[in-house]
Amino acid sequence: MTEYFEVHERDGAARIGELRLAESRTTPALVGDLLTDAGSLWAADREVPDGDDSQVTVLPHRAFPGGTAPEVQESFAVDSPDVDYPSAAVVSSESADAQGTDVYILSNVQSAMGHGAALVEAVVDTREAIPVDTALCFSGVATPRNVALLAYAGVDCFDAAKAVVKGTQGKYLTTEGEYYLEDLEELPCACPACRTPRDDFTREDCVDHNRNALAAELAIVRRRIRDGRLRDYIEGQARHEQWLTAAMRELDSQWRYLEERTPILREADLDAATEDTLRRVEIQRFADRVTTRYRNRFQNPLVLVPCSARKPYSESQSHGQFHDAIQWRGHLVSMTSPIGVVPQELETTYPAQHYDTVVTGRWSEDEKDFVARVLRRYLERNAYPEIVAHVPDEGYREIVERVAADLDLGDEITYTVPEGGHPTDDESLATLSSALSGARTYSKREREHNTVRAIADYVLGDGAGDVLFEEMQTTSRYPKIQVRDSEDTQLATMVPQYGTLSFTLEGARRWAESDAPTKRVEIDGFVPHGSVLAPGVVDADADIRVGDEVVVEGPKAFGIGRAEMFGREMAESTRGIACEIRHVEEK
Amino acid sequence: MSHSHPTPDVYEQGKGMDAHNQVMREIRSEKEASYDPHEPTRVWLDEDNTPGGVKQSLTIILNTGGCRWARAGGCTMCGYVAESVDGGSVSHEALMDQIQVCLDHEANEADEPADLIKIYTSGSFLDEREVGAESRRAIAETFADRERIVLESLPDFVDREKIGDFTQYGIDTDIAIGLETATDRVRHDCVNKYFDFSDFEDACAEAAIADREADAAAAGIKAYLLMKPPFLAESEAVADMISSIERCADVEGCHTVSMNPCNVQRYTMVDELHFRDGYRPPWLWSVAHVLEETADIDAIVVSDPVGHGSDRGPHNCKECDDLVQKAIKDFGLRQDPTVFEQVSCACEATWEAVMDLECSYNQPLTR
Repeated sequence: MTEYFEVHERDGAARIGELRLAESRTTPALVGDLLTDAGSLWAADREVPDGDDSQVTVLPHRAFPGGTAPEVQESFAVDSPDVDYPSAAVVSSESADAQGTDVYILSNVQSAMGHGAALVEAVVDTREAIPVDTALCFSGVATPRNVALLAYAGVDCFDAAKAVVKGTQGKYLTTEGEYYLEDLEELPCACPACRTPRDDFTREDCVDHNRNALAAELAIVRRRIRDGRLRDYIEGQARHEQWLTAAMRELDSQWRYLEERTPILREADLDAATEDTLRRVEIQRFADRVTTRYRNRFQNPLVLVPCSARKPYSESQSHGQFHDAIQWRGHLVSMTSPIGVVPQELETTYPAQHYDTVVTGRWSEDEKDFVARVLRRYLERNAYPEIVAHVPDEGYREIVERVAADLDLGDEITYTVPEGGHPTDDESLATLSSALSGARTYSKREREHNTVRAIADYVLGDGAGDVLFEEMQTTSRYPKIQVRDSEDTQLATMVPQYGTLSFTLEGARRWAESDAPTKRVEIDGFVPHGSVLAPGVVDADADIRVGDEVVVEGPKAFGIGRAEMFGREMAESTRGIACEIRHVEEK
Repeated sequence: MSHSHPTPDVYEQGKGMDAHNQVMREIRSEKEASYDPHEPTRVWLDEDNTPGGVKQSLTIILNTGGCRWARAGGCTMCGYVAESVDGGSVSHEALMDQIQVCLDHEANEADEPADLIKIYTSGSFLDEREVGAESRRAIAETFADRERIVLESLPDFVDREKIGDFTQYGIDTDIAIGLETATDRVRHDCVNKYFDFSDFEDACAEAAIADREADAAAAGIKAYLLMKPPFLAESEAVADMISSIERCADVEGCHTVSMNPCNVQRYTMVDELHFRDGYRPPWLWSVAHVLEETADIDAIVVSDPVGHGSDRGPHNCKECDDLVQKAIKDFGLRQDPTVFEQVSCACEATWEAVMDLECSYNQPLTR
């Protein structure tokens, strides 16, 4: 429960928040100047102070540093008093619970540093124990090098204490390292402190520089969160310290924590430049949905092709050539690292349309293994009369052969690119065309219907496409397909930017009444316009993710909108926008 | 003994104390070494500042079966319980053997007998369950020709008659009490010591009476204070130490305060905290700062940091540790604060930043 902190934007576990004080501060940020400590109860008995809204009052506390035995934590536990001003509680990750404050400060924070698994355990345990709409504060640890990862893990507030102390020790901090001042012939920075000539640059200047560098890094972190691109940054920047990279990887193993907080779509591109990209929630989630939700509805042969750099693939030159040879006679599935396989109906979805990979033609064993596993699971779920592999040698063919051997499909696969050849060679394209000579051509209607149903499967759940759109007609041009019922009433529109369906009220009603998995937000007795704020939410399905289409219903209103929070966050938060309403009607 | 003060046997109550004791018992149970009851735990020669000037000293850590309180759990920073015999009590004969070992050591190492004898027991010398009346009187007789003796005890066991056993020979007698801090809350919750400051004041009153009753000798109390118990940040520990020294000096009968910077001993709660990056021993600058701040109070204030310069003992930046330690020892002997003007190091700025920025929820800010 918080009145003085609000989350405005989310990027995975990282958030843009606002400490709503007399002068607000946007987090992640340094907040040391805003904290007023009422004091430690270890040292003395303390009065509950008269706080005010110019500061966050750290309520009287007993901090348990790392290594404090559980029995001691239990018997000396402090319950924070209820106060009506901005407040913070001091908690240990091992015994944290909700204290009714706006901010929670971690007491065993030093023990969480320097070890990836320990950091992730401390952040996840604490985050799961405190209310989702409150701020998590780490004091005494932030440096320009670690602060991006800390924010990425879900920490909102920091102070400059560590950077200052390091400055007094003559340790010059940067986003990529830590240098002894005496070893620096020149200062690798242009902040005001570093404009001092090198020979006059003192440890006091070093303190100022460290503080500047930390503040600047936090500004980059905020920009990255707003852009939905903090992970892309972390994959590169965390490389400068092994334990930070370890923390990023450990966090990838915290699927429940990270998946719940990861949006299902973004407008931003997704950089696929490291092997760690394969472990991203967005990548794993796509592979999971393609192999457990999506179902092929075409009767035609499968044509496996390589991906293209241009997205969506159908707009690329190579795929244009494939299309000219295939002529709607095959079901096109693109093989790609790090996404896996992309059926043609899903080419606009997130992140299939949004990832940007490093093209060298060399595949790592991890990439091959990943794509092979996805392809195998895909083929186990989807049967085809014939399989045509229109793929070049490097990587692609090896993956297809590996899966073919696993599934005993050796004889059923036709390879249409000769050894050493390229898929866009005339010879290859001619072979592809003739391989499909007996196949029927599917219609535009079939193509569009199957696309709508496939997107429904992918976005809403297994079987949703058939249940929701057994009866429909499509109008307008791909990719802006409009979905209508037999009376010509519009039900939904395909959103080309990220391959989702945007429902009309009629479509929402059909969805809500169907057997398809529905994401519902239950609201109080009011008619929302524009947005639904968290206090108005009575309950919300736990599987709602940021970006999801949601049915919003209460005693007085029925509507359809898009989630701005994940489900548990909607249900638990006391501030902030839960979802944006697109259409609503009074009951 | 007519005292109605709580003793460790009956005082083990209250949630915090239960928890501390349970945890300390578990930690201590990991230690399984045992010791020969005929050998003292340690013995060494040194020099000390006393109300009668700087004296050669013989320090004896007597093995008396160890601290009764430690067997219940004990203090969060104290590992000496590990240095005691199995089974608990040590016979009169064994204790006297230990004293003989110490006299032999002195005879071998020193030119002449030390004027000052200091006897610690990792418990209470005046607790008759550790050192019986017979042994106490025999030890008093053994050292009858010395000028001064320091005996360690918890305040509960201090009474005028036991002190009289020593003063009757004309030995100036100081009772060393591990008060740790004048703040009851810190002593109870951070150190897990069961008595109150008022018990210390009562013990001082007993010593003052013994002092008046003795014709040819003085009796008094030497308070041992713990610099930086666990759970306190550097600045909190410094503030608590300064106020503790001031309060001790105000008590009649207490003439000396010994400030002991906490060091990380094995098989203690402090060790567990230190291992998990939850504790750093105090800075030597903090010790120097306290000595400077309390230089003009009416008591002798000394400090002899143990284990200085190591990660597990009080330390600065390593570079200046020996120098600052030397200044602290010098102050202990001469009580002249200008000695601290002669030491400086770049790490003072770091210490100042730590004093300014470290608090209980971000400690330790540096190693």
